[in-house]
Amino acid sequence: MNKRSVISGLMGATVLTAGLGGAPAFSADITITMAAPDWPPTRFMKEHFDQTYTSPAGHTTTLDMDFIPWPSFYERVAASLTSGEQKYQMIVTDSQWLGAFVEGGYYMDLTDKIAADPELTTILQDLHPALVSAYSTYPHKTRAQLEAAGEVPAPGVSYYGFPQFPDTYVTFYRQDVFCDEGEMAAFQAKYGSNLPCSYEDWQDTDWSKWGQIGEFFQRAKGEMLAGEVLDDDFYGIAYQAGKGYDFSTMQANAFIWQQGGDIWDESKMPDSQAEGVVNSDVAVAAFDEYLSYLQYMPPVSQTGQMDIFVIQDLYMQGKVGAIIDWVGLGEPVLDPSASKVHDKSAFGPAPGSRKADGSIDRTGNIGGQPFVLTTWNSEDVVDEALNVVKWWLSPDTQLAAVANGGQSGRMSVMADPTYNDLRPWNRAHVEMIDWQKDVWHIPEFFELLTQQQEEFDKAITGQIGAKEALDTVAEFQQELLEDGGYIE
Amino acid sequence: MANTANSRGGFGAWLLDPKRRGALLVTPALVILFVMNIFPLMWSFGLSFFNYKASSLKVPKFRGLSNYERVLTDDKVWERFQTTAIIVGSSVIVQLIIGFLLALMFAKAFPMRRIVLMLVLTPMMLSFVSVGVFFKLFYEPTFGIVSYVLNFFTEDHFVMLGSPAGAIAGIVIADAWMWSPFVMLLVLAGLVSVPKYLYEAAEIDRASAWRRFWTITFPYIRSLLLLAVLFRTIETFKLFDIVYIITEGGPGSSTETIAVFLYRNAFQFFKTSQSSALAYIVLFIVIVLTNLYLYAVNRRAEEVS
Repeated sequence: MNKRSVISGLMGATVLTAGLGGAPAFSADITITMAAPDWPPTRFMKEHFDQTYTSPAGHTTTLDMDFIPWPSFYERVAASLTSGEQKYQMIVTDSQWLGAFVEGGYYMDLTDKIAADPELTTILQDLHPALVSAYSTYPHKTRAQLEAAGEVPAPGVSYYGFPQFPDTYVTFYRQDVFCDEGEMAAFQAKYGSNLPCSYEDWQDTDWSKWGQIGEFFQRAKGEMLAGEVLDDDFYGIAYQAGKGYDFSTMQANAFIWQQGGDIWDESKMPDSQAEGVVNSDVAVAAFDEYLSYLQYMPPVSQTGQMDIFVIQDLYMQGKVGAIIDWVGLGEPVLDPSASKVHDKSAFGPAPGSRKADGSIDRTGNIGGQPFVLTTWNSEDVVDEALNVVKWWLSPDTQLAAVANGGQSGRMSVMADPTYNDLRPWNRAHVEMIDWQKDVWHIPEFFELLTQQQEEFDKAITGQIGAKEALDTVAEFQQELLEDGGYIE
Repeated sequence: MANTANSRGGFGAWLLDPKRRGALLVTPALVILFVMNIFPLMWSFGLSFFNYKASSLKVPKFRGLSNYERVLTDDKVWERFQTTAIIVGSSVIVQLIIGFLLALMFAKAFPMRRIVLMLVLTPMMLSFVSVGVFFKLFYEPTFGIVSYVLNFFTEDHFVMLGSPAGAIAGIVIADAWMWSPFVMLLVLAGLVSVPKYLYEAAEIDRASAWRRFWTITFPYIRSLLLLAVLFRTIETFKLFDIVYIITEGGPGSSTETIAVFLYRNAFQFFKTSQSSALAYIVLFIVIVLTNLYLYAVNRRAEEVS
C-alpha cells in the first residue's frame, strides 16, 4: 500500500481546499498494485486502464500491474502474501486459491461492500451464476445453492472476487482439414457419420466422434492430408494430459461430471465423502474413457507433459487437427507471426458425453481468474479498488476487452448482438460457460490437486489403470479431509 | 594514543585505529552472514518444533519432536530419499567416467585443444534452468532432437520421459552433461601434476599402460577423484531445478527428489514446520557429506605438502 502517497495526497488536498475553497475535498494520489499473470488479458487491462480510467472520486489513480509469468505465478503470490510484505492491493487469483488465502486472512470479504453499493449489486446480479459460484464464494456455494437463495447477495454467503478473465475450454480446429471434401468423404465412408466442419457440426460432436477423429487423422510423414503430402507426422486430436498444476484434472473432471460421477463435493461437507464417490464405477469408467483417447494424440501425451501450452504449440505448428484448450490461449493461434494455422483455424464447443435422450452434456471445469482485494488497505484504497472493479466490469470496458482477446462474465454483455462477432471463439465460449463447475476451494486444495495429478499422471503414462488411480486418490482424499475436519 | 587520534581526527580516526580495523572490516560480512544465514537457520529450526503453516494466521502451537517423527515415519519421504539416491548414484558415476575420460583426452596436446576445452567447459557455466529447458526440448518426442535422430533407426517416436527408468535416465544425462566438465577439471589438475620423469622411468622399465596408470597416475588423482565424488554427491543430493523443469517429478512421483518434495511441502502445501523438520534432516545429511569432503581436502593438502 502506498500509505505515504495517500497521506501526502490528502494533506495536499486539504491545503488546497483551505487555500482555494473549491477543489475536491478528498482527492489523493492512489497507487493500486495488482499481482497479475503475464498474458494478453491482463496486459490489455493495464493498457486500457491507462488510456480510459478516470476516478469517480477525483483521485489520481495509478494501476501498477506486477506481471508475473504463469509458471511461477502461484509461488510468487503466495510468497508475497505469507511474507507479510503487503505489496498488493489487488490480486488476480485462481478460484481454487480462495480458501487458502481467505483463511490466511489475506483476501478481503466484499459481501458488505457489495450489499451497500447498488452498482456492485447490479454487477453481481448480471454476472453469470457459474462464475459467481466459482470465483466469488467462500465457503464454496454451488450455482444451485445460490439460485435457491433467490436474492443477490445471497444471505449467509461470503463474496470475495469478481471476474477478471472468465475462461472456458473450447475446440480449436483446422478448417482446411476438417472441411476438405476428400477427408469428409473418407470419414463418412469409414465411420458412417460426418466429419465436423461447421460450428453446428461441433455442437453435435461427442467423445465417441472425438476418438474417431483422432484415429482417422493419425497420419505418418509421407501420407496424404487434405490433398497434400505430409512432411511430418500428423495427429487428429489433443487435450490436456500434463502432470503440472491442474493440467489433467481440468479435462478429466469434465468426463467424470458428464457421465454422472463426481469429485469430493465441498458444498455438502461434512456429509460428502471422497471414498465411494471419487472412485465410483461411473467415475472410473469416465476416467478410463479420458485415458482411451490419448493413444491418438501426439507422443508427448505418453510422457504426462501434454499441458495446455504444449497442445497450443503443437496446434500452432500444424501438427494437430483439433485441440481442446482455453479461450485465453486463442489469441496467439491467430497471430501470423506465431502460428502456421492462423488463417485456417475455427472454433467450436468442446465435445461432451451423449445422454440417453441424444443431447450432449458438456459439463466442464471452469478456467480463468477472478480478482480480489487484500485485507490491509485503507478505506480510500478499498473504495478506489472497487471503482476499478466497476470500471473493468462496465459494459464498454468489457466489450473492449472481449474485442482484444479477453472475455466477459456479464450476461448482458454476452447477450450484446455484436459479442459473438468480436472474436471467433466467442460463440463457443458463451455456449460453454453455462456448463461450468469448479474444483475444490478449501485451503488444502493444492495437496488434493498435487496427489491427484500424480496418480492421474501414472495412469496417463500407463503405469497404472484408471481404477487403481482413482482408488488411491479417494483413499488419500478421505484421510486428508477427515484429518482436516471436512468429512465427519 | 587514542586521545591523540581523537584530538586529530575525531570519531573516524578512533574507528580506524589499527586495534579496531580488523573487527571493523569483518563486521559487515558477519552481519550479512547472520541476517542471511544464521538467523533464518535458527528461526526455521525453531519452527520445526511447532505446527506453523505460513498460509495461516493461527497462532502456532508447540509440538516438540512430532514433526521429526512424522517426517521420519512417512513412507513418501523414504521413497523420495530412494529416488534421490538412485539419481545421485547414477549421475555421479556417469560424471566420473565421462569426466575422467575427458581429462585423459585433454591431458595430451592436440590441435585446437584450448578451443575444444573451452567448449567442453561451457555446460557447467550455464544456468540450471537453461539446461533443464534445453533437455526438456531435446527429449520432446514429437519434435525433439533425440526422437528425431532415433526416428531414422526405429521409425517410431522415442518417448524418453514416458517411463520411470527413462525419466531418471533423462535427468542423469542432463546433470552429467552439465557437471562432467567439473570432474574433468579436477582430474586434469591431478594428471598435469604427475612428474614426467616418472613416466619416462616407467617406460625404461617397460611397464604396461595399465601398470603406469595404476602405480603412477592413479595415486596422484585418487584424492582429487574423491573430492569430485563428494562434491558432486553433495550437489546432486540437492538437485531441484533440472528435475522440476524436465519431469516435475513424474511420471507419477518416480523422479521426485527429496529437494522437490521439500519444495512442494514448504511452498505449495505450506506445511512450514513439517518441511523445516525435513530440511534439517537433509541438512544433517549434507553436513555429514561435507565433513567427508573436508577430510578429503585435508588429505589432499597433506599429500601435496
